[in-house]
Amino acid sequence: MSEFLGYIRPNGDVGIRNHLLILSGTVYANGVCERVADTIHGAVPITHANGRCQVAPDLRVTRRFLAGTAMNPNVGAVVIIDHFKEEGMTAEDLADDIAPTGKPIATVNIRGDGGFISAIEVATRYAQDFARQISLQAKEAAPMNKILFGTECGTSDTTSGLASNPANGLAGELLIAQGGRMLMAECTEWMGCENWLTDKAASPAVAEAILAGVQHMEARALASGEDIRGSQPTGDNMAGGLTTIEEKSMGAVKKIGDSPIIEYLEIAEAPVKTDPGNYVMYGPGMGAESISSMAAAGCQVLTFCTGGGHTSNHPIMPTIKVTGNRHSFELMRDTVDVDVSGVFYGEITLAEAGQIVYDEVERVCNGYLTKSEALRDNNSFAIHRVGPSI
Amino acid sequence: MKKVFVVYATDNVGTAVLEPIHTGDHVGCNGERSDLEVIALDDIAYGHKIALMDIAEGDTVLKYGLSIGSASRDIKEGEHVHAHNVESNRGRGDLADRSVAE
Repeated sequence: MSEFLGYIRPNGDVGIRNHLLILSGTVYANGVCERVADTIHGAVPITHANGRCQVAPDLRVTRRFLAGTAMNPNVGAVVIIDHFKEEGMTAEDLADDIAPTGKPIATVNIRGDGGFISAIEVATRYAQDFARQISLQAKEAAPMNKILFGTECGTSDTTSGLASNPANGLAGELLIAQGGRMLMAECTEWMGCENWLTDKAASPAVAEAILAGVQHMEARALASGEDIRGSQPTGDNMAGGLTTIEEKSMGAVKKIGDSPIIEYLEIAEAPVKTDPGNYVMYGPGMGAESISSMAAAGCQVLTFCTGGGHTSNHPIMPTIKVTGNRHSFELMRDTVDVDVSGVFYGEITLAEAGQIVYDEVERVCNGYLTKSEALRDNNSFAIHRVGPSI
Repeated sequence: MKKVFVVYATDNVGTAVLEPIHTGDHVGCNGERSDLEVIALDDIAYGHKIALMDIAEGDTVLKYGLSIGSASRDIKEGEHVHAHNVESNRGRGDLADRSVAE
């Protein structure tokens, strides 16, 4: 088994980055979070539009996203800022959720700490202390089985299902062979190949959960008045050469390989099991929400397969873009990391493409910056809503 | 020779991803079946599929080594494979619980 150099946390998790998180508890604390993060070396703000006037089930999901992001092994310390006391998700509630990880946490309340300007001062002092404290931590060798490897696809095209996605599935198998775990979300895109997934389920309960998850997402789509399944594949898919829904879905789910599916997770929920293999999670095809749910589940690294090229990047989970479209790689070379289009030209085999993706993942786990990290284009933190604002 | 791409060794279709194929073209395979060569019986647009062997009506059309549907009529080696000669086995109420994805 190979090793990587990471940051070992008090609870045994291992991060591949050592971020100081400035976490906003509500939309109204975003401004304070941004000012604090602007001031402090290496601080990453997490801001969002939620945290107020949400129905309880929706607020619980938001809380899982926020606490989970802070619990991610790539986070070394957290300053949480809220503006008042929001029942069901105060800064203290979030701190309680995060506390079992053992990482340093501070809470700041804008009202309680004397208003906008005073709260910035209080939070900035906490952040300064934390930034220096975590800078003392040296990287140590850790086995690759500590890695939870997330995978996503977006802006897909004809090449996606043929090159980047199956290469990615093979890369996942290389990690799993070393005891690691791979996580795939986007259950919308499992429609049409549920059987391929349930055949891999490690238990009947996992198989039932997969089917129920797809049905639940489909029911939500139908409730919106849009029949997504009746129109699949879409007209432009057909014009592009996709013949059936099973062909389209297979291209998407081939992001994971043939290993057993160990556990089914609700959105933004961390796995309980540690067995090597594949893990799947309920959630939408919307890229930013999907990768944020996987970061909240604890993924330290993610591959984002994209035919058209992409800019998606999570603030704390390095997001490696992989394409099988040579043209897109050239057009989007600022943010796309890996080109596996050589499989089409007979330059490399699919197995070699899988190794190329895996090698990039291992390098990034060892600290190599992705293109988007180097650009600090932290565009893809988003929270999935399951209820209306009231 | 023009080339199509074959994802999996047991597939009976290849995909035109390098260049469009025209009727009468000699077509080889990149990917998993470099041994195969067919003559195109139809034009095959970018992203579309060509039959690598004869596929009888009712037989499974394989891509990724998995079923993407069944031939709705006999398909000859070199023919364009698409909705006009393949039907889905999924999303159909009468077949939904019995469909197979080997």
